[in-house]
Amino acid sequence: MGVLNLASVGTGGPVPRILVIEDDPETAEEIAACLTASGFESSRCFDGPTGLEAAMNEQFDAITLDRMLPGLDGLALVKALRDAGSDAPVLMVSALSDVDDRVDGLRAGGDDYLIKPFAPKELIARLEVLLRRHQTSGAEVRLRVADLELDLVKHEAVRDGRRIELLPMEFQLLEFMMRNAGHLLTRRMIFEKVWEYYFDPGTNLINVHVGKLRRKIDGPGLLPLIRTERGQGYMLYAP
Amino acid sequence: MRLSEIWRTTTFRLSLLYFLLFALGAVALLALVYVRSAVYLTQRVDRILAAEASAEMTLPRSALRQTIDDALIVNSRNSLFALFAADGTRLTGNLRRLPEGLQPGGHPVEMAPTADFPASARLVARRLPSGDILVVGRAIDQLREIRRIIASALIWSGVLTIVAGLACGVALSVGPLRRLRKLQAAAHHIAAGDLRRRMPVSSRGDELDMFALTVNYMLGEVERLMGEVKTSSDTIAHDLRTPLTRVRAQLHRLGLGAAVDPADIARVTAELDEVLERFIAILRISELETRARSAGFAATDLSRLLQQAGDLYQPLAEEAGVQLTVSATPGMIVDADAKLLFEAVSNLVDNAIKFSGKGGEVRLQLDGRPEGPRLIVQDDGPGVPAEERTAVLQRFYRSERDKLTPGSGLGLSIVAAIVRLHRFGLELQDSGPGLRVVIECHPVDVNI
Repeated sequence: MGVLNLASVGTGGPVPRILVIEDDPETAEEIAACLTASGFESSRCFDGPTGLEAAMNEQFDAITLDRMLPGLDGLALVKALRDAGSDAPVLMVSALSDVDDRVDGLRAGGDDYLIKPFAPKELIARLEVLLRRHQTSGAEVRLRVADLELDLVKHEAVRDGRRIELLPMEFQLLEFMMRNAGHLLTRRMIFEKVWEYYFDPGTNLINVHVGKLRRKIDGPGLLPLIRTERGQGYMLYAP
Repeated sequence: MRLSEIWRTTTFRLSLLYFLLFALGAVALLALVYVRSAVYLTQRVDRILAAEASAEMTLPRSALRQTIDDALIVNSRNSLFALFAADGTRLTGNLRRLPEGLQPGGHPVEMAPTADFPASARLVARRLPSGDILVVGRAIDQLREIRRIIASALIWSGVLTIVAGLACGVALSVGPLRRLRKLQAAAHHIAAGDLRRRMPVSSRGDELDMFALTVNYMLGEVERLMGEVKTSSDTIAHDLRTPLTRVRAQLHRLGLGAAVDPADIARVTAELDEVLERFIAILRISELETRARSAGFAATDLSRLLQQAGDLYQPLAEEAGVQLTVSATPGMIVDADAKLLFEAVSNLVDNAIKFSGKGGEVRLQLDGRPEGPRLIVQDDGPGVPAEERTAVLQRFYRSERDKLTPGSGLGLSIVAAIVRLHRFGLELQDSGPGLRVVIECHPVDVNI
């Protein structure tokens, strides 16, 4: 897993630097350990004001931000950061899981919202997607991974020259996976980004949706593009 | 019981106010009695004076002087008779000089007591045909006497009223204060943790009793909720102990072995994931319970919502070999939080598929009924025993069947919390075989 992550994020470029703003030392330690294991570099801040100062003065590739911080809370911090013109991707981390809290967090300028308690892999997966999104424009009309092509204008998927019939949700799922090709996507992330629901969908629901999509695109005799990361999620990549 | 406490009681203040009002009424009454009797007595005196004067005017001059002298012998203390010549010199009678302001033939006047006549008097004067002036008068000390009696009556009754008022106020306040003390004592016991204790209620049914009954009702609710919280925390603790003990044992075994098998790690991780999942569900339920009701409420198309839930779960049903059918009357709109309601329906469908098993059938149904839309999720699985049907809707309750299947097992608790937030109705029925969950999508009064 670690090798794959390194391959996907560090293709010869500099190692991404992540600022971790978290007041609980143990959680901060855990996040930092996770980041290091996945090939990131991390700095830590334990309260709002120093976090904001660090985010303003140094260049970070992404920030994980606890919602409730001493001194200056996460919402105010991300707002101040955006007002100052910073567009570093921010992953808000919070124990408040309600949809309204999520909306508040995203409205204040956060890019994604992760609920405590979380699995470390979930955090890494979301950060990678944020880093990736930051690099792409989002204005593409055609996505391509290996011999799989997705035409966003004609709403058409073609693999190996053969057209694949997809239902609307399957198309959206495939688009999401292709946009984030090479990154681990957890079930929860898929459910949130594709279906836009924020509750726990249970383990199997996303599995069967991905399974159905996989049967359509990874036909017999073709190289499998969708790979299952056991117990964690899925990754679409060109082998 | 201190005096200052009694002063402050409502009963005391009210009784004092009542007695003050009573005293005012008494003053007004006595004043009226005085004025009316004064007027009456004055008029009576005036009439007597007029009659006497008229009678004496008819007498001849010589007889008049004699009559006056005779009358004064009989009663010189209360009566005044005098005869003055036209130039004002006294001819006879017990009045030395003609008082100023007394006009012959004019209105009666009052005269202050003098050395000759030691009482106030009312006088009237008449001019005789001879030109002499006849003065007739009467002492009016009765009026003063009545005034004095009334004044003393006022003072005494005032003093008595105020003393009685204070006494009554104190007496009336002591009882309620004593009862209040008992209520306070009960409240202290309850605050100290004795939730079984209730406020004392007397047989009177007065306002204190009404209040005590309200508090007792509230205490009942608090006791029930505390009991529920305790049951929930016990449930959570029991539920979590099992997987955590297993994880501990597995970790212990891993520590003993030389080589670590990745499969073992995966098993432990899966076990912990389940614990984590359950925690997330518990947090979700508390969050739903504390949420302000109207938060994401809007007009929600239930028919579309049901269709979407069907679409989302169709692949899962197919894989599980379950037939999932959706039959929704179109255009059913209710005021609801669409995301939350979708979460509830998803939970129900997920459960239904899980428990139907291969070859089973799950039906999603939406009917329009006179009182409002009714949403039904029905499976043909083993169902829930009648005695467990209300329990599974309680917070954090995991039914026996949930313990055998993966997942948080708290799906129905989440559904119940969401339905409660909407004030909709929720009922579990036997669909022989299987479970039939009915959500009445309109405000229902029944507490769930």
